[in-house]
Amino acid sequence: MLEIDKLRKADLFSGSAILLLGLFVVGQATQMPMKDSYAGVQNVWYVSPALFPLFIGSMLALLGLLLIKAAFKEVGSAGLLSVLKYLSSSDFASFLKLPGTIRFYGITLNLLIFVFLLIPRVDFFLASILFLLIFFFMFYCGSDEDLLSLIYLMIASTLLFSLVVLAPWAPSLATLVPFLSDILIIIYITGLILYYFIKLKGSPELMPKFRLSLIIAFAAPLTIGIIFKYFLLVPMPFEGLVVSLLDAIWYADIWS
Amino acid sequence: MLIFDRIQTFFEIAGGMVIDPLSLGILFGSVLLGIIFGAMPGLTSTLGVALLTALTYSMDTPMAMICLLSIYVGGTYGGSYASILINIPGTAAAAATAMDGYPLACKGQGGRAIGLTTTASAIGTMVSMLFVVSISPIISNFALEFTSFEFFLLAFFGILISGTLTAPDLVIKGWIAGFLGLFLACIGRDQLQFFPRFTFGITELESGIEVVPVLIGAFGIPQIIDVLRARSQMPKAEKLSKIMPEIGTVLRNIPTIIRSALIGVGIGAVPGIGEDIAGWVSYGTAKNTSKHPETFGTGEFEGVIASETANNACVGGAMIPLLNLGIPGSPPAAMLLGALMLHGVTPGPMITFEHPTFILEVAAILLLASLAMWITGMILAKQVVKVLNIPTPLFMPIIGVLCIIGSYSLGLNIFNLFLMLPVGIVCYFLTNMGYPIAPLVIGVILGPMADENLRRALMVSQGSFMPVFTRPVALILFLIIVLTVVSQFGWYKKMMAGIKARLFNNNQ
Repeated sequence: MLEIDKLRKADLFSGSAILLLGLFVVGQATQMPMKDSYAGVQNVWYVSPALFPLFIGSMLALLGLLLIKAAFKEVGSAGLLSVLKYLSSSDFASFLKLPGTIRFYGITLNLLIFVFLLIPRVDFFLASILFLLIFFFMFYCGSDEDLLSLIYLMIASTLLFSLVVLAPWAPSLATLVPFLSDILIIIYITGLILYYFIKLKGSPELMPKFRLSLIIAFAAPLTIGIIFKYFLLVPMPFEGLVVSLLDAIWYADIWS
Repeated sequence: MLIFDRIQTFFEIAGGMVIDPLSLGILFGSVLLGIIFGAMPGLTSTLGVALLTALTYSMDTPMAMICLLSIYVGGTYGGSYASILINIPGTAAAAATAMDGYPLACKGQGGRAIGLTTTASAIGTMVSMLFVVSISPIISNFALEFTSFEFFLLAFFGILISGTLTAPDLVIKGWIAGFLGLFLACIGRDQLQFFPRFTFGITELESGIEVVPVLIGAFGIPQIIDVLRARSQMPKAEKLSKIMPEIGTVLRNIPTIIRSALIGVGIGAVPGIGEDIAGWVSYGTAKNTSKHPETFGTGEFEGVIASETANNACVGGAMIPLLNLGIPGSPPAAMLLGALMLHGVTPGPMITFEHPTFILEVAAILLLASLAMWITGMILAKQVVKVLNIPTPLFMPIIGVLCIIGSYSLGLNIFNLFLMLPVGIVCYFLTNMGYPIAPLVIGVILGPMADENLRRALMVSQGSFMPVFTRPVALILFLIIVLTVVSQFGWYKKMMAGIKARLFNNNQ
């Protein structure tokens, strides 16, 4: 949690956001059927689907106001002005570049790329291996400087990958080259591993960490994925090259 | 059911589980997993229950309950390992244990401390199990008289009290978290008229948000971000000597154990507040009532016993409102409620009719889980503490993968992940700004119950709120809600201070 003085200043903003959300909920609720009939059912206010959202929206708006009032009481208009000044100052720009903030970017970027870009389009095993490798290289084998360069690399590779899988020409490319997205991720993973191998080769304390990272990055998704796919019978979100290979082995005739 | 019938059924159920090797294996495995989860700072028993909900989805209900309750019991106890050996609580429940547990470990008595927490935790769980069995029929019969107004007020009270007691900063933030949870629960087609609310044309939102992925996101993602961002290095664990059951110390502190167990059950029974508060309240009470309070914080066994007995007694306490009223008594119980709903079991007053032996099954599992926890703790504690040496940057990303595949596996819907991650990131910011997550979770789970019951109640009363004032239970709940809200305001506190001052002056 933030320190108390920063917290009260943050409360001004979170209180405003809650107030706006409350007003939005009330606004949406007024568009729901209150007295008109819906689906052939004549409505009254106490059966209306708007009742509960109206109640919640009003309470959120009221509590948001109370929070703003409580925060304002402590920081005053001077505090609010100082926050606005801070947000437009170079101190805020420095805060955005602090190591802790950059780590936050790295973590959320990796999570967002994994969930929104990779999972629906890339074999789950490969996507998980890449996800884990990036986290391990960010936080286990590397320092904050490495983290920043890894973030730039993630952004660049995401843009390139999106050009292949999200662009209008993606379906025709996918028809030309089967498992295209998986092949691209395999190339990316290989490149990343080679880069870090060359980088950490001369470091006796980081090489064992690098080796351990590789083992866990491959072993963990394989273990988790195999348990879910073949024992719990949960299909993977996207089944590509690796799943096809595992299926071929698991369901091979030689076992019967 | 006569009391002797119940006792006979209870032992039949317990015996059936003991002689089935699969149940026994799952029991011990889940307890061990729970202990490992609890031992690792950054992982909570709520997250453990959430992940196991996904894994046990395809199992039959009794087996799934063994898994989930065992990991809950083990996770609550496992937090004491990190508290004692590295002075960092493995779970919030064990925060108070560190106060005297770590000084004990520094004096070379870490083994004795862990032996003590193992025995105290087992006793706490067993005592709470007795309460589950004995109080449940009373509450169930009472709750059968409840109508929709009572259920609405109960759900609302649960969210409110959870917000009031779990808010680390202002109480308003706790209430805001609760209403945010209620708002999330409104998303989708409403239960009575199927009108789409807040779906914005997205088909996947029409059936509402999936509760378990949202809960996994709310509890898992902020932890992952927090732990990795801190780049914290775990301190080296204190050396662990032989682990003994410490029966002698336990027997010398019987009053503390009984008091702590009662505190744990009581706090567990209050909706939404859980093991962490039970641990602190019990520790504080033990210190205040001790003949030598100055020894607390220097390695006092009574402090360790108070905290660990209470936090494990909270497990059974949380089951009481969960099973009989459908209101979770703690965040892990909220997760359990989600799991039970997935398995088609609706906790509430009707549970004794729909599943007559369910409460006895839960009690039997709690008893066996506490025994399994004691055995596992005594034998394997020295091996389990080695997990404290695993670097957090290695296991937290793996937990991330588990959260994601676990969320996906419930419903096989990628949209659950698209919901889970943004909710998790928002919850991260909320936690940093002093908003508690437990009321949000309780709001998400109880929202549909509150909405449906409010409208149903008003349908019966034709729009009148008079039944709130004419029905005694509804009136009591309403007054408690009003008191809970009003007692937070400055003018009320001043008024009460004035009244107390006048009374005190009059007495003089």
